This record gives sequence, C-alpha cells and structure tokens, in this order.
Amino acid sequence: MNEYVILGLKIGFLALVWLLVLFVGAAIRTDVFGRKISTSELAAAGEVSRRGDRGDRKLARRLKIIQGPQAGLSLALGEPIIIGRNDDAQLILEDDYVSTHHARISKGQGYYVIEDLGSTNGTFVNNQRITVPTQVGTGDSVRIGQSVMVLEK
Amino acid sequence: MPTLVVYRKRRGIEAVLLVFSIAIAISGYLLTHLDIDSALPAEWPWAVAALTLLALVAHVMVRWRIPYADPLILPLTMFLNGIGLAMIHRLDLATTVTREDGTVDRMHSAELQLLWTAASILIFALVLILLQNYEVLHRFPYILFTVGIIMLLLPLVPGLGQEKNGSKIWISTGFSSLQPAEFAKIILCVAFAAYLVDKREVLSSAGKRLLGVELPRLRDLGPILLMWVISVLVLFYQKDLGTALLFFGLFVAMLYIATERPSYPIIGVLLFSAAAYAAYVLFAHVRTRVTAWLDPFSDFDTNYQIIQAQFGFAWGGAVGTGWGLGRPNLTPLAKTDFISAALGEELGVFGLAAIIVVYGVLIARGLRAALGSQDPFGKLLAAGLSFIFAIQVFTILGGVTRLLPLTGLTTPFLSQGGSSLVANWVLVALLMVVTHHARRPLVERSANPVVNFAADETMVLEGAR
Repeated sequence: MNEYVILGLKIGFLALVWLLVLFVGAAIRTDVFGRKISTSELAAAGEVSRRGDRGDRKLARRLKIIQGPQAGLSLALGEPIIIGRNDDAQLILEDDYVSTHHARISKGQGYYVIEDLGSTNGTFVNNQRITVPTQVGTGDSVRIGQSVMVLEK
Repeated sequence: MPTLVVYRKRRGIEAVLLVFSIAIAISGYLLTHLDIDSALPAEWPWAVAALTLLALVAHVMVRWRIPYADPLILPLTMFLNGIGLAMIHRLDLATTVTREDGTVDRMHSAELQLLWTAASILIFALVLILLQNYEVLHRFPYILFTVGIIMLLLPLVPGLGQEKNGSKIWISTGFSSLQPAEFAKIILCVAFAAYLVDKREVLSSAGKRLLGVELPRLRDLGPILLMWVISVLVLFYQKDLGTALLFFGLFVAMLYIATERPSYPIIGVLLFSAAAYAAYVLFAHVRTRVTAWLDPFSDFDTNYQIIQAQFGFAWGGAVGTGWGLGRPNLTPLAKTDFISAALGEELGVFGLAAIIVVYGVLIARGLRAALGSQDPFGKLLAAGLSFIFAIQVFTILGGVTRLLPLTGLTTPFLSQGGSSLVANWVLVALLMVVTHHARRPLVERSANPVVNFAADETMVLEGAR
C-alpha cells in the first residue's frame, strides 16, 4: 500500500482512540452533576428498590410519636408533611435537637418516602441515619431529635 | 415540589461507548491485515459478529441485573480486551510459516483468547445473576481468607505446581494450566474488606508515638505481619516478586483506607523493602532483574528481552510504526508480559498513553464508587478491587518501560492468558455491582425494623440551628 495511506490510517486509528478517551471524559463530566427529579416523580417512575417491599405490609395511615417530649401525639399521613421546629411545619417538634425544616414524608405507591432536609442532627430510620430519601412502611421507626415515631396502620 | 439529585442510569452512553470500543478493536484487527497483506481477512465479519455478540450479552445483563451500574467500566474493559485480542492476533500473524508442501500455518492464540473472552463474559453474567447483592460476601471473612491463601500457595504443592519462566505460580489441571493467584487476589480482596470493616475500630486505636507518627499498638500488628509472612513465602518459594507485591500492597492499601492511619503504609513499605533487599542478596535472578532495570546494555544476552522492548519503543516513537508494521515479535513473551511493549511499538507513545489513560479512568471510576458507596463494606471492596488494577498496571507497565524492575504480573485484559482474563472480568463484575448499589437513587429499607434506642447517640452542635 501507498505509504501515505498507511500514515493516514495510522493517524486515523490514534485519533479514534483519543476520541474515545475524550468521549469518556465528557461522559464523566455530565455524570458529576446528576439529574434533578422530584420525590414523587421518583416514586412514580418506580425507581425505588423493590427489595424488602413486602406485599403483606399494609399502607401506613398514621405517624405516632412513641418517645420524646410529645409522646402520644399522632398525625394522619397522606399529603406530604414537613417535620421541624418552624411554625409552617405540619408536625412541629418542640425540641432543640430538631432543625427548622428537618425532614419530609411524602407518599409513593404503596409506601412513604422520608427525606432529610439537611438537618443538623440527622434523621434516623430504624436506627440508621439516612443520607438519601428512604422508603418507609408500617412498623418502621423514625427518630428525629429526641422523638421517636412509628408508622401505624 | 421537593426535588433531589440522582445519578442518571446512562445505559445509553454505555451502549454507544461499547460500539465505539468494538469499532476500535476491529479497526486494529483490520489495519493489521491491510498493512501486512493489503487485503481484508476473509473471516472479518465473524470477528465483528463475535465481539458484538459478547458486548451485547454483557450490556443486556447489566441492564437487567444492575441498571444503575457505572456506565464507563464495561466499555473501557471491552476496549482493553478488544485491543489485546487484536494485538495477540497480530503477533500470531508474525509466526506465519509456509511449509514445503505449500500449506500456510501460524499460531492461533487469538482464537483461543477469544474463547476465553466468551467464557469470561458468561462468568461475568453469572456473577451479576448470583451476586446482585454483594452483602452476602461480608459474612465469611475467615473462610474466604483461608480459601484465598490456599489458592495462593497451591503452586507450592509438589506434583501440582509447575514452574514456567522461573516462576512457580502455575498449577496443572489435566488439560490446561491455571494461575490460581489470579483468583486468589479477588477472594482475598473480599476477605480483607469483610475483615477490616469489622475490625477497623480496633486496628485504628493509637499506640506509641515515634517521630511524630502514631504507631498502632503492638498486638494490632498481627494481621499485617501475617500478610507479610505469606508474601515472603510467595517471594521466596514461588520466586515471584510481582505476586508478592500485589498481595502485600493490596492488604496495606486496604488497611490504610479502613483505619486512616499513615503508620500502616509506612510500616508496610519498610517491611516490603526488607524482604525485597533480602531477596536481592539471596537470589541471583532478582539481581539480574535489578541490573536489567538500571543498566540493561551491560549484558546483551541476559537482558535480551528488556533491550528488545526498549528498541521497540524507540522505533515506535510518537505515533508508532502502525498495526502490523513493527516487529514486536522479536521481544520474547510479547503476547503476555510484554504486550504493552508491542502496543508501544506499533501505536507509539500516543497509543500507549491512551491505553494508560483508559486504565486510569477505570481505576478512578472504581475509587469513585468507593467514595459514593453508603456502606463501609462496599467502600472497602470497591477501593480494594480498584487497587488491584492500579498495582498490576503500575508494576507491569513500570517494569516494561524500565521505571521499576520487571516483575511478572499480567497486564489486565490485554495480555494473553485465560486465568487472568476470567479473573479480571469477575473483578469488573463485582466492581459494577458495588457501583450499582452506590448509584441507586433510594436506599432500600433497613432489613431489620427492630429498634434499639439505647444505642443511639444524639449530639447538639452549638449555634448550628
């Protein structure tokens, strides 16, 4: 073959390899920022892990405080509720360990999703601090500050 | 509406990159034939079909079992594997001989390697099916450790072990020989991760201070000393510096990640240097390796291999000689240990640099998964698996380019050899399972709703309301 053709093919191959590397770089760059979606959209899209989502669990209806200064209080679930110290929260916890807007519980299909709203002391589901929106159902416990709540039927 | 930021699944990007990777591997294969014979090989559509089918199987399995896995790991692995296949085929062509009766014959290692690739993809799929949740691996650190160590030391069993090229790292199993260390590295990485997650609190408690560094307590030095003894056994009886370095380095790196104590890597480097120096004094072949590294041209016959590799790099220059136009077959073991020298000769610095960048990205994605993973076992596992790649690529490429003394480790995915290929694909499968769990938008609910309130601690941060 003509030596210029060989040179062209050689350079072309190297260009192709580096194009792949650049493409990979671009893919990493877009991966850094992720995608913004709403909690309900996430639930509706079924992007929730189905593992452990047992069918026999009935959908919880109430959130009951079982420990803490306001023990005994309970609240109907349904519309998204915000838990916090601020007056506009649906569940106001009079507790110094609770942030103004501490956590939000919203409804998915057959379960609720609880997410921490950047609180100082964290939100614990079944005694594990959550870092991402977490699925909760009947019998699960939620601890915020000094209060422990359970989801009830 | 409340919003949150999630990782994209990005399986589309993965598919596009897979097509890209296969296209590059196939162009390497076609260019070899164009440059040598000025004609395309008759069987090229079959090669395209085979690679596409394998990539498709892997991609579909990822979509089905681990849809949130990192989108870059699979295509980059496929890229390295494909480039390796193309180069092995190119080296096969160099062995072409025409017999007196007119028949043409050559070696067929690339075809065999393609079969091994197919087997690897099947095992990759099997890992994804069986181990969708890697937590199960956390349960048996001691059993896995024992199995791993037995596999590592298996070539020392008389009658079973085989010595090849001065290293006793092979066992013969009837029809073919195996390198059990390749599988032991994964098993031990899992065992280390499981063990260190449970013990890191203890291992990181501080002991005496020396020269401003907090040393671990004496009794906590047990694990690192045990791994050191095992590495020394490998070094002295299997005569393989690379394998010893890989296992000891992996353990020390994971110990450091788990405990965050800088004293462990310092102790590790001192221990390994002592063993390496002892090996240098005791063994002639280690001294040969060091001479070949520092002053190869002092003895042409002994250092023939490394000298040929240097000539290859020099002839290749910046853009290489082009596929099929160099003479990488002059270097002994060009298909295994020295495949990076063959690639450097024919693709030049630009080509080899791209391959090193791909390795770098692969390792970075693994470490990214370790950072993003929510559970400590997944973190350590991903970090350890990435470190295996990092140590291997660094030592073998460093050895071939004379940055380090040469050690006989395989170049992951590129070099010829079934054990290494299958083991590295299993490693990639595990890594992708961890990335799937790290990138999923919601954590699954805790398995055990029984609450232990007494164990809770709540802290008040002053003024942080």
